[in-house]
Amino acid sequence: MTAPALALQDLSKSFGRIRAVDRLSLEVPPGQMAGFLGPNGAGKSTTLYMIPRLVRPSGGRISVFGVDIWQDFIRAIRSVGVMVEAPAFYEYLSGRKNLELAARLLGGISRGDIDEILERIGLADRQRDKVRTYSMGMKQRLGIGRTMLGRPRLLILDEPTNGMDPEGTREILSFLRERVRTDGLSVFISSHLLYEVEEYCDTVFVINKGRLIASGQVKDILTPHERIVRVTFEGEVPDRRTLMADERIRNISSLTPNTLEITLAADNSVWLNRHLLETGFKVAAINPRQKTLKEFFLSITGDGDHV
Amino acid sequence: MFSRVWALLRNEITKALRCRLPYFGLFGAALLCVIIFGVADELSSSNENNAWGYVTLSMQLVFTDIGLIFILVFSALLMADETRSGTIRAMLAAPLYRGEFYIAKAAIGLLYMVVLSVATLVLSIVLARFHYRFGAISDSFGVIYSHGRVFGSFLLAFVLTWIPLGALVIYGLFISTVVRSPGAAVAVSIGTLYIIDFTKHLVGLDPYIFTRYISYPWQIMQQITQGVDYQWHPEVWKMVGLCCLYGVVAFGAGLLIFLRQDLND
Repeated sequence: MTAPALALQDLSKSFGRIRAVDRLSLEVPPGQMAGFLGPNGAGKSTTLYMIPRLVRPSGGRISVFGVDIWQDFIRAIRSVGVMVEAPAFYEYLSGRKNLELAARLLGGISRGDIDEILERIGLADRQRDKVRTYSMGMKQRLGIGRTMLGRPRLLILDEPTNGMDPEGTREILSFLRERVRTDGLSVFISSHLLYEVEEYCDTVFVINKGRLIASGQVKDILTPHERIVRVTFEGEVPDRRTLMADERIRNISSLTPNTLEITLAADNSVWLNRHLLETGFKVAAINPRQKTLKEFFLSITGDGDHV
Repeated sequence: MFSRVWALLRNEITKALRCRLPYFGLFGAALLCVIIFGVADELSSSNENNAWGYVTLSMQLVFTDIGLIFILVFSALLMADETRSGTIRAMLAAPLYRGEFYIAKAAIGLLYMVVLSVATLVLSIVLARFHYRFGAISDSFGVIYSHGRVFGSFLLAFVLTWIPLGALVIYGLFISTVVRSPGAAVAVSIGTLYIIDFTKHLVGLDPYIFTRYISYPWQIMQQITQGVDYQWHPEVWKMVGLCCLYGVVAFGAGLLIFLRQDLND
């Protein structure tokens, strides 16, 4: 049986009285992109810090491809590329020099390998410029490039698209997705953005207050049991109580005098459109809306204060 | 392990060569050498006849003043700067142990101390050759100390200076480990040094503070250049013992703290 790319067993961390991570257990399957989802302060970063031993766990075990991180750190970490929090660099050095320093510690990385990575992350043109002149997005890309030195089998990335524009975010996540597909890379990526995980990950682990509250295939966990749509009417707007009589409609709120936000059980937007037309209302537009993380947590825990 | 420490040390050298601070230290030391060269005759009566006196005075003043400050600032920033910028986390996520990282930091601090002292020495010798003569120490009755003997003593004094300065580097590294903000680390290391220096006589701790030995080898060398009797023993052994004790304790304590530190924000 293949060992999981990453396995956490009863991992805990307390800072004084605060329990940041509470008996967290999860397994990231090899060759998959796994999302680690949770609101700010949920314990995601603390968990990720413990993997390369930047933070000492209060209890529990961590293993990478079956190698315990506390028993054989060098062997375990050789197969891992880690980027925690905002990527930090020696700002007075060039992007290339920063990669060279990291490569020296890994050993066996040629100049050609560095050229290839710079090309892949789209920084070949700016490689000689000092990092202090880079934008946040460029630093994020350089950070991801650094994690890819030495051809790791597992990437651990803490909110790698922070500060990036939508185009850059899409580029990076697609790039990672492609490496997963073609190279069999495993990626464990933390995020507080639902759509990132929904769109790019295979599996998801949802954490809150240091505890795992849901895990499994993205389609099972994140595929909406509810769909939120915004319906704009031309002319008369239907009565809310009449609409709510149908069990396929869970909630209705008014956004403007002629726009309603309707929460549907499952994806019933086609039915809704037909139903409104059949009952004599003129629908100008129906637009689906992404759930917020708070709404997602509400739907899986029933506790709005969870977030 | 050695290959990883060597790789880390090469990284440290690369970074140091591209930072301004080490060059400020070299510039400051050079400036002081030139100033001392200009006023050396007024400062020491022994300089008229030989270059040894000037070089000794130059080394002594540089390393009880600006050189000492720059060595301390450099070492106090070694860990704190990386902690503040977060680069320490990126480095320690590589396949290496924290102890190796710490050893490399101590090594670059010591290397800078040696480079600064060698550069100061070279500049002092170059300046000395303009105006003075490296020869035997003599008076009107003849040669007191031969050229060879003075040269040997000078080399010994030069190397011995590295021992208290080395302890100073390790002290700065310790502060840098404990105080994780660069500004605060520099302030604490320099502040404690001066507070201890000002109060050690008052509270009777002078014999137990290693900083008293920073200029000790040059004081002996001054005696030699003035042609008076000198004696290395037994004080030099106290110096070696005390400085090594401070160095080992500060290194051990700093390493232990670093090994147990949580490096989150």
